[in-house]
Amino acid sequence: MAVTTYIDAIREGIWEEMEKDESVFILGEDVGIYGGAFKVTRGMLDRFGPMRVIDTPISESAIVGAAIGASLVGMKPVCEMQFIDFISCAFDQIVNFAAKCRYRWGAGVPIVVRGPCGGGVHGGPFHSQNVEAYFFNVPGLKIVCPSTAYDAKGLMKAAIRDPDPVLYFEHKYLYRRIKEDLPAEDFVVPIGKAAIRREGEDLSIITYGAMVYRALEAAEELAKEDIDVEVLDLRSILPLDEEAILATAKKTSKVIMLHEATLTGGAGGEVVARIAEKAFEYLDGPIVRIAPPDTPVPYSPPLEEAFLPQVADIVARARKLANY
Amino acid sequence: MSVDVIMPQMGESIAEGTIVKWLKAVGDKVDRDEPLFEISTDKVDAEIPSPAAGTLLEVLVTEGTTVEINTIVGRIGQAGEAPSVSAAKAAAPQPSAPAPSAEPAAAAPQTAAPSATATASRVVRSSPVVQKIAAEHNVDVSLIDGTGEGGRVTKRDVLNYIDSASSASIPVSSTQAAPAPAPAAPRPAAATTTPARPQVFAGGEDEVREPMSVMRKKIAEHMVMSKHTSPHVYTIFEVDMHEVVKRREAMKKEFAGEGVKLTFLPFFIEACIRGIKEYPIINSSVDGDTVVYKKNVNVGIAVALEKGLIVPVIKGADQMNLLGLARTAADLGERARTKRLIPDDVQGGTFTITNVGVFGGLYGLPIINQPQAAILGIGTIVKRPVVIDDAIAIRPIVYLSLSYDHRIIDGADAARFLTVVKRELEKPQA
Amino acid sequence: MADRQTVSAKKTHYVHTPDEKSKLDMLHFMKLTREIEDRIERKLYRQGRIVGGVYVGRGQEAISVGTAIHMEKDDVVAPSHRDMGVFLMRGITARRIIAQYMGRKTGLTRGRDGNMHMGDMNYNVIAFVSHLGDNVPVAAGAALAFKQRGEQRVALCYNGEGATSRGDWHEGINFASIHKLPVVFFINNNAYAYSTPMELQMAVADVAMRAPGYGIPGEVVDGNDILAVYDSAKRAIDRARSGAGPSIVEYKTFRMTGHSAHDDAGYVPPELFEEWKQKDPIVRLEQAMLEDGTVTQARLDAMQRECALMIDDAVDWAEKQPYPAGEDVTRDVYFEG
Repeated sequence: MAVTTYIDAIREGIWEEMEKDESVFILGEDVGIYGGAFKVTRGMLDRFGPMRVIDTPISESAIVGAAIGASLVGMKPVCEMQFIDFISCAFDQIVNFAAKCRYRWGAGVPIVVRGPCGGGVHGGPFHSQNVEAYFFNVPGLKIVCPSTAYDAKGLMKAAIRDPDPVLYFEHKYLYRRIKEDLPAEDFVVPIGKAAIRREGEDLSIITYGAMVYRALEAAEELAKEDIDVEVLDLRSILPLDEEAILATAKKTSKVIMLHEATLTGGAGGEVVARIAEKAFEYLDGPIVRIAPPDTPVPYSPPLEEAFLPQVADIVARARKLANY
Repeated sequence: MSVDVIMPQMGESIAEGTIVKWLKAVGDKVDRDEPLFEISTDKVDAEIPSPAAGTLLEVLVTEGTTVEINTIVGRIGQAGEAPSVSAAKAAAPQPSAPAPSAEPAAAAPQTAAPSATATASRVVRSSPVVQKIAAEHNVDVSLIDGTGEGGRVTKRDVLNYIDSASSASIPVSSTQAAPAPAPAAPRPAAATTTPARPQVFAGGEDEVREPMSVMRKKIAEHMVMSKHTSPHVYTIFEVDMHEVVKRREAMKKEFAGEGVKLTFLPFFIEACIRGIKEYPIINSSVDGDTVVYKKNVNVGIAVALEKGLIVPVIKGADQMNLLGLARTAADLGERARTKRLIPDDVQGGTFTITNVGVFGGLYGLPIINQPQAAILGIGTIVKRPVVIDDAIAIRPIVYLSLSYDHRIIDGADAARFLTVVKRELEKPQA
Repeated sequence: MADRQTVSAKKTHYVHTPDEKSKLDMLHFMKLTREIEDRIERKLYRQGRIVGGVYVGRGQEAISVGTAIHMEKDDVVAPSHRDMGVFLMRGITARRIIAQYMGRKTGLTRGRDGNMHMGDMNYNVIAFVSHLGDNVPVAAGAALAFKQRGEQRVALCYNGEGATSRGDWHEGINFASIHKLPVVFFINNNAYAYSTPMELQMAVADVAMRAPGYGIPGEVVDGNDILAVYDSAKRAIDRARSGAGPSIVEYKTFRMTGHSAHDDAGYVPPELFEEWKQKDPIVRLEQAMLEDGTVTQARLDAMQRECALMIDDAVDWAEKQPYPAGEDVTRDVYFEG
């Protein structure tokens, strides 16, 4: 066991897969000599050489397109988007090429597209977004959003080994703030499985990514008021762990869906719809969504603070729901 | 058999086409792919080739007429053949307007019949889950005082109400509490008799129904299956833990230096592995009429969770030393309790150990973890007076209980195995 | 516009010339391509036996055939929608192609996609998507894998001139050029992208003029002269295979139809069709072969009959093929083991 940060867990996940499987390689902007804008790929150029750690021009579409082509002939590429916001430049390759090959003509596209998402670091409108909902309505893709170092490593390995395209959204706020002991041996976290981070009886907060920590903080606050909160970390957004979602909803009968992506059209809407559809008879109150307002992510600290769901907001909404 | 000629779809968005000209007349011979008629659409004018060779038997859509795509516009067949008329989609003249409805519009909206229960109703706000629980327990929600927002009856309210119902003989349904409201009009007696619901609890009884969790259901299924599969037999041995306690004391510090808390469990695992080495039948399973001996010893450790239990597996336990066993057991236990096990962690076990002593049990008779052949229960370690060399000594004693599958393991095998386990545990330190 | 399609310096001497067998092969595949497309567009589509869109490359057969003839078994190809000859030359049968157009279960996409949107990695053919130019980075990626693994394979990528206006085309070629990847970019310049002529597509006369901007060679070739196509493709493919990097080869040709079967191409001056009819690539090769005595008219007629029979058989077979079952609609979105 060694204490590993979230960002190191991502690197270890890629690194160990590259050690194990020669078909795994990295491509992206500044991933080589510089080691990536956030240093996720630090040291990889020295270890694996320029054939497997490829610095690309500023061409997200070419990065993903080339990954698709390489994967069709047996490689397992891991693409870095320097900030996940730039994935929009590769949108077409992801949704029209990668996501549809298997269905159309039976060709698997085992690629990973990863990059730093999320706010709380004053990155402004183009360095803070959470983009999962853009891809949520695209059958053929998988989407994961790890919140712990264990999951960051385990989901990275699962994503690289997956025979289908996986979008891996890592939260930059967690990069160096989250650390834990990781087992020395090889492990994966299966895609599509949620995890209960805290058990509770009175109310469930379903969330993922950095908001897991806000939810846990809120749960601590609420415990002082004798409100027993369960926190479910989805870990994978596509496919959703419907079994775990319905189980927590049925258990506590009151649900808050919390995410950092903006409210309208966010992935939480689907979670809420499934609960309403399949656990209606277990509900003891309206399903509540907590998410940023429908605006771009603002830059200035007071604006960003107002934008992101805060612990106090969650506590207030949860208290109201608990007393409903 | 005649062949239908259809109006083709000349472009993804095209819904209809016009027959401009028939190039053949009824009765004319036509070759496969020979031009048959001309069409005009929003996008293109085209000559349409015949789908088959034969005679144009019928023209169903005349020149200048516009029809939907896929409409049958004609038929090709053998000369003299009668066109088949089974095709459903033949063009038929459409009425220019829908036929007037035969029924006159209702003169006035119908007034709703007053509800028979309206007199007794009190507007109660609840929720789907409250309604469901109330229905399951035959509880009238209107009798419950709500503590929720605006007096809403909450899930907790209805559960509390049901909870206290027996002790305080609180009515659970309005039909018990008060005479049913008089029906608005006399009705035959039979009509007022609603089918009796099974009364979930009667006076003095009390129960709260809770659906099993997924884990609970799986445990339940697994336990029943195991009892149905294997005839269980049990053998219990008493073991003096004096030597193990000494060894543990001596090694504790060293292990702590490695970041591992040394419990008694690794000693039991180690002793069992020795037993299995000498009596491999303990580490086997049944496949039809075959006994399958497992080459690896993968020891499952039952871990109690807040609700339920789980059995992570120490893979290749026979390849580990005491430190390896201790570390792996601690890691699996910790990950079991924090729900971070992965599926692989709980698979592949060949023998299981369960600590029934952790909650004070002297010994237990555990159920075999299928498809394994045996499970060892460890009781609580208690100091007892024992006779050693005709003198009374105080020794830490534990009861080990082995449950085993009598299909393949006999009492003698089990006793021999436990003898080895006992010998290993009582062996003086080298 | 017609001028733009003219290749000024007409070549008479080629570095590589096909042997007799290759000439016969190329003639056969050009004829087969024309026959299958003719049947699809002018017969089956108009009879309502094929649904959806139909896009053909009539008059452009020399480009797919004269390039793909150089492919080795392990080479990978990313064709576009007017490259029927590529599929046939890769060994995909006319039967499966017609079944594909008819939406049958035995078509290349099992009814999941239609017409030229077909591929099969067993034949190293990457299926094209409607988003033109997307196949450029993808072909570059396949070539990247070949380079990483030190394999002697090349990737061939086909697009029309219209696709070169897309960003993906630029990104893919730039990336391939930087890394000197073993890939060749063939441009099938047929003067029109749907109804948009060259002068509204780009301000340069030739797509190949862009090649120096990427630091790679570019060449403009008469796309209706299969001997010129054969020669230029061989040089470009050899270059890629040797590790010297990608190149752009632009073939000037003319679309002898509308954009698709429902488009009468009323926006094209009729005299252009007349002019290009005189440059028909099949007729040109036939005449050359008659002149040098490699074929007789009787042999040509027999080849034509053979092609027609193959397509008759393909249509008859395909029509007997089952449709996919509706309940299978949700299968194979993800790996199913």
